[in-house]
Amino acid sequence: MGVGTQQLDFAEFYRSAADECLRAVVVSIGDQDTARELVDEAFARAWASWRTVSRHPAPKAWVVRTALNASISRWRRRRREVPVADPARVADPPALSATPVGPVDPQIMAALMRLPARQRQVVALRLILDLDTARTADVLGIAPGTVMAHLGRAMAALRHDLQPELQQENRP
Amino acid sequence: MNDNELSTIVRESVAEIHASTPVDRIISRGRAVRARRLIPGVAGALAMAAATALAVTTVLAPAHPGPMASGHSRSLPTSHPGSHPASARLAAWTVAKQANGDIDITINQLKDPAGLQATLRADGLPATVSFSGILLSPSCQGYLANTSTLNAVFQGHGTYIAIDPSALPSGTGVAISDEPGAGLPTLSGNIPTLGRTPAVHPSVPPLSMAIDGPLAVGLVYTSQQCTG
Repeated sequence: MGVGTQQLDFAEFYRSAADECLRAVVVSIGDQDTARELVDEAFARAWASWRTVSRHPAPKAWVVRTALNASISRWRRRRREVPVADPARVADPPALSATPVGPVDPQIMAALMRLPARQRQVVALRLILDLDTARTADVLGIAPGTVMAHLGRAMAALRHDLQPELQQENRP
Repeated sequence: MNDNELSTIVRESVAEIHASTPVDRIISRGRAVRARRLIPGVAGALAMAAATALAVTTVLAPAHPGPMASGHSRSLPTSHPGSHPASARLAAWTVAKQANGDIDITINQLKDPAGLQATLRADGLPATVSFSGILLSPSCQGYLANTSTLNAVFQGHGTYIAIDPSALPSGTGVAISDEPGAGLPTLSGNIPTLGRTPAVHPSVPPLSMAIDGPLAVGLVYTSQQCTG
């Protein structure tokens, strides 16, 4: 495959996958600005390794995984600034952007951000990228049963969080 | 509300988010990433060639300084800080100083943090390294840099870190640690596995992740106790 063909191939992949990948990363980390930076960088790396990535069974998952791994250059400053009484309870505090969340429903995003990070990642991969359980498990490096357990807990928590709000909205 | 309805709500909640970066800019950035990779690749090939020679001559002569350092190799022990022993076997980590001053680190196993720290310091980089799940030692004071500064100093992916020392703010050095709880199933065995170690530190709250990664990096104020 020539470079020109590769470029067209990659451009088509980017056009078809960028929105979904960005949404998945937003769901995973909350902050849209950071998510955009991470996804852009992940796609750049995908292009740099396009011969490999293009043959990946789930290139979108590769991009999202790469974006999530790109945290290597970032301190989790928020966690260092505030002493934590019970780290387990706030291991994954809301990462909502200080900037306006734009087109995202703030209540739903807040509910998502209350989930532990791993549950958010499972939600992102299963619901946004529409990966199956096995592929999600492969991407996250966890057992399929663990994926199902995380998804089940996430759905239960979201239902618990959102049900009253949705009922409120639907009330005449 | 059943699962399908809830799934639809979640999907719709982010449906208006669209990527806006032109693909040309992505490709341009990708070319830069690719070009950056080529340099350590060449250095690695040279180091492998050097390793072959060293394997023959190591009894007669100590390891010579070179462009790459590796740690905790089983074929050649790490020598004094600053020397760069090469090995044909997989090293726990490798450090390669590039012609432009960048320092590239690849961490394969969470072993010999003191050796890695000494190698980085010998290359002129104020550094503190920990692979015990402790992000900062008590003697270190974290420097709260903004994102653009961090991105200028650090580039990385997975277990690869590229550091640009010239981008360090005055009076700062780098801290490298394993990321407590990060779920990258890269390694297994008797040694601590990347991202699997618990966070235990009495004075610094454990850092968790909004996003995954096997390693954590950041900036610290330089001091004799912290960064050498």
